[in-house]
Formats: sequence, C-alpha cells, structure tokens
Amino acid sequence: MKRMGFKEALFILPAIILIAIFSLWPIFKIINYSFFDYQLSDQQKSQLSTREKFNVDLFNENLDYVSMFIDMNRESFPEDAQGKVDEVIIDVNEFKQLLADKSGFIELSGELKKQIRSNYDKLITEADYFVQNFDFPDRENLQMIMEDMSKSYVRSNFIGLQGYYNALKDERIQIALKNTTVFTVISVAIELVLGLGLAIIMNRAMRGQGLIRAVSLIPWAIPTTVAALIWSYLYDGSSGIVAYMLQSLHLVRDSKDLLLSGGGAMASAISADVWKTTPYMALLILAGFQTIPGAVYESAKVDGSGVFNTFFKITLPLLKPTILVALLMRTLDAFRVFDLIYVLTSGGPGGSTETMSIYAFKTMFEQSNFGYGSIVVILMVLCVALIAAFYIKILGANVMERD
Amino acid sequence: MDKKSSKTISPVFIFVSLYLVVIVFPFIWVLAASFKPTQEIFGDGAFRIISANPTLENYINVLQNGLIRSMMNSFIVASLTTLYVILVASLAAYAITRFKFRGKNLLLGIILAVSMFPQMVIVGPIYNLFMKFNMTNSYFVVLPYSTITLPVALFILVTHFNKIPISLEEAATIDGATSMQILSKIVFRLAAPGIFTTAIIVFIAAWNEFLLTVTLNTNRAYHTVPVAISFLRTQFTILWGDVTAATVIVTIPTLIIVLLFQKQIVSGLTSGAVKE
Repeated sequence: MKRMGFKEALFILPAIILIAIFSLWPIFKIINYSFFDYQLSDQQKSQLSTREKFNVDLFNENLDYVSMFIDMNRESFPEDAQGKVDEVIIDVNEFKQLLADKSGFIELSGELKKQIRSNYDKLITEADYFVQNFDFPDRENLQMIMEDMSKSYVRSNFIGLQGYYNALKDERIQIALKNTTVFTVISVAIELVLGLGLAIIMNRAMRGQGLIRAVSLIPWAIPTTVAALIWSYLYDGSSGIVAYMLQSLHLVRDSKDLLLSGGGAMASAISADVWKTTPYMALLILAGFQTIPGAVYESAKVDGSGVFNTFFKITLPLLKPTILVALLMRTLDAFRVFDLIYVLTSGGPGGSTETMSIYAFKTMFEQSNFGYGSIVVILMVLCVALIAAFYIKILGANVMERD
Repeated sequence: MDKKSSKTISPVFIFVSLYLVVIVFPFIWVLAASFKPTQEIFGDGAFRIISANPTLENYINVLQNGLIRSMMNSFIVASLTTLYVILVASLAAYAITRFKFRGKNLLLGIILAVSMFPQMVIVGPIYNLFMKFNMTNSYFVVLPYSTITLPVALFILVTHFNKIPISLEEAATIDGATSMQILSKIVFRLAAPGIFTTAIIVFIAAWNEFLLTVTLNTNRAYHTVPVAISFLRTQFTILWGDVTAATVIVTIPTLIIVLLFQKQIVSGLTSGAVKE
C-alpha cells in the first residue's frame, strides 16, 4: 500500500470535516453544557458563564423607566421631596453616561464594578424612599422595575458536578433507565429468537425467496413514525383491530387498557418494535447462513451428525460472528429508541414507557433545560459504551473488518 | 422443482405464509380503513374490512393539508443527503482502502463510535448552532444528517472498495494515470454497484430521519414526511381517516424502492454485519 501524499489527503478531508463539526464537536459541547445550569427559556441562565456578568441593555432600559416613573408622579410627592426627584433624574443620567459605550452582557471588574455597585445601591435607596413614604399611581410599577433591574446581575451558572449529583438522586432517570433496559432486553431477545427461527425457515424455502425478502424489507424501510402510527391505530381502544382481537381472546380485560395502562403500553411498544425489526434481523442471519458452505453440512451428515447436533455444534458457531454483530446493532438501536415511543405513547401513561431518549428530549426541548438534558444524554452515551464494550470485549464481536 | 413437492403443503410453507400474513396484515388493514368514511371508522363499522360506503374523502383531505409539500421536502432532503454523502464517502473510502496514513485506525474507530452513539447527543448543540447562524427551517438540516448516514456509507463503501483488485490500479499508475483518473476511470466504474447500494441505504435513512427535522425545522413548510405524519396524532383528536390515508400514500415511495432494489438493499444491510 502506498503512503498517502498531500493530494490524496484531500480526498479524506471533507469526511473528516463533516464528522468533526456534526459529530465530534457536539460531544465536547454537550459535556461542557452538563457543568452549567443552562436553561434557554430563563434569561438569567441562557448563557454559559463561569463569571458574574452584567446585562447592560436590560439595566439601561430599566434606568429609563425609573426616572420616568418618578418624574411622571412628581405631583404626588410633597414639596420637600421634589429635590429628591431631581436628584434621581441626575443620578440616572450619570449612570447612563457611565454605561454609554457598553452593550450586551459584560464582565465586571475593578473600578467599573465598584462604581456600578455604589451607583446602583444609591439608586435603590432613593427609589425605596419614594416607595416607602408616598402613595403614587406608578408605585407598583416602580417596585416591579426595581425587581427586574436586580436581574441585570447575572450570576455564574457554572455548577460543576452538581447536575450529576442531582441526576444520581433523580428517580425519573432511574425509571427511564429501567424502562429502556426492559424495552431493549425483551425486544432484542424476542427479535433474536424469532429472527433466527425465520432465517432457518427462509433458508429452507425453495420458492418465493424474492417475495419473502421484499416483504421482510418493507417494515424496516418505512419511517418509524409511520410504523408507530399504524400500530397506534391497531392498538386503539375503541377502533383498533388488534386491541379488539386481544379483548375477544381475553388476553386483555378491556381493549382500552392496551395503551392506557403502563404494562400494556410497554408491551405494545415492544411488539411494534418486534414487528418492525424482526424481519431485518432474519435477513441479516439469513445472509450469514448463506455464507456457510454446503460442504460443511455434507461432511457432518457423512459423519453421522443428527439435525440438532449439526445445528448446535456447526451452524450456530459458524453463525456466531454474524449474530453477535446483528445483536450489537439491534441492542444499540433499541437502547436509543425514540421515534417509535415518541409517536406511540410519548412516554406515557404516567411515564411508564419513558425511555432515556424521551426523557432527554423532553428535558431539552420541552423544558428548555439544556444543562440537565445534557447529563441525561451523557448517561446514555456511557450506557451505549458499556453495551458496545460488553459485546466487543466479552463476547468477541468483530465489528471492524481489518484487511 | 418436481411435482410432488409442489403439491404437498410443507410446514415451511405454512410458517412462511403465516409470517407474510403477520407482516402484511397491518398494511392491508390500514389500506382498508383509509377508504372508510369517519362514521365507519368508529363504532360498528370499525372492524369490518370492506367499507359499506367507500370514499376518497380521507385522501383528498390529507393531500390538501400539505402532505404533498412534505413528500417533496422529504424527496429534496433525502436526495441532497444522498448526493453529498456519497461523494464525500466515496473519496474517503478510496483513500482509506488505498493509502497508508497515520491515524487510520483512529479514524476508523471514531467513525465506528459515531455510528454507535445516540443521535440525541448532537441535537442540543446542533440546535444552538443552527439558531446562531439562522439555519433553522431550511434545507441545511441535511448537513447534520451526515452523523447518521456518513459512517454507514463509509463502512459499506470500504467493504466494496476492498473487493476491487488493486492490480488494475497499479497497472494504470505505471501507465501514468493520476489518482483522480484512477478513481474516476477505474475505481468508480468497478465499484458502481456498491456505490449504488450505498446510495439507496443512505436515501432511505435520510428519508426516514425524524429527530433532527422535528427539532430544527419547526416550521410546517419544512416538515418531512416522518415529521408531518407524526403531527397527525395529537393528544386530543386522532383523525384515523387522515392517518390511514396518509400512511398509504407515504408508504408507496418506500414500497417502490424496496421492490425495485431489494437485492441491493439486502447486500448493503449485510455488508457490514456478515463476514464473507
């Protein structure tokens, strides 16, 4: 093999750039997020800041209101307070000059920090004087403005490992982890057994291989959300045919229990997943079958090996690499399950089908809490790494072909 | 096949038929329901296969409600992804299979790890990135699609490129061909079936993507089929008529692709998992 020159290195560059920006950078980013109390919907926490910051724009805007509310209510104040009113207006103008060349979020330090603090404290005392002593139309407004003003000081939202500590005590994560594990273990186990059985049968089928293959590919090829919708119709309590059949066979007491009870919803999600991916599993194993040369079976027959003996002593060991890789791929897929459950149950009823993905998604995009959501995601990544390590190191799955 | 075996009904035949019925039944049922008027979907008519008063009302409804637009979006997004991912992945796979370079194993390891980690990892940071550069609600969403499609494409292509004998290229090098010429005149021609297989797998993966589009493209005008169809099921009203009709319509393109390219799809699916 030749050494790579500069021109050949350019061939690989686009792939590296894409992976770096859209796959690797987000990982570092999300680890970073996880150390902050980072919430998009909360102005105080919508940025990652390790130091205290000062929101100049918000402060300036509120300064205007302070002088406006006091100036406009001038008539409500007695003669001896008029001087104080002028004082406030002068102070506000001075303050605005101090901040004149600044905007957005700034970090405060040294002289400026002290100056802003002392000006601000003075303003608070002045505004308090009016609020405490007099009754005027905008009294409540002034109070609200002062309250809002105090939010200009944005404290650092760096929380270090606090989020991880919270996650350890978060019962919802434990439930999500349990749900994900139940879903993964049961669905992958069923898919493996059925897939293996189907592959054996397909391997025997003389005719209709094309038809079997085409039909097997359809559930795999349709979007998961479409499959989830199909099954949510079949499971529907009042008009779903599968729910109706299960009720007629007395497998469920009431057809409405299927998606509305915890166990029923989980069983429904698992069986929808089994329907969608068993054929895929069968096709993978079938392809493995077809790589075993017929001569192996013939010599086993000559040596007097029985059907079961041949299967367990010859076929299975030869299939092991294929089965392990298929299992690894399926286990990881099932562990990150999102679309299916999001559409079928959205994690309900009462969180009984909420998986790690669903919990992470809800935390990030429904509660806008990117910090905590990132921690849930990182826990998922750790689990995925453990699963992969288990398959590769302990079971010896060979996922990378080496030449 | 002799006459005898085709006349007796073997257990294999029964199992295969049963399997086919289980797989196909949901589609048949949905197809049947899609022709039912609303009052038949609920109540007594719900469990009848053939509608008493078949209607096309459901189809007209969903087609007028933006389903065509989302199918077009899906087509655009899936085609764009396929085009650039195949281009990028072919070049990279060629370099990986033909040249020695430092960190090759590291690169392959990273690609493998990327293919394993949950997609949920990238959504948050990518959302912020897209907000910052005003890229939400656009076809830029195809760029992060690379996370789900590029590793798969690379693995399939590396497997295929490895099968092409290197001696042809060596001969061409001796005749004075440049890397680019070797790539376009020899490797791409010989690897065409492999590239085509990869393209189909990438196309299907991009067509089916849900998470990135639902978070980055919240505007209905940019919804793809999987997203648009998921919004048909809401907490309070489920219009089964619309759902079933939409399901039938969006399944048709997938069905066509599967029927036309089943061999390529199976070869693509198994080339990573099955050692030959």
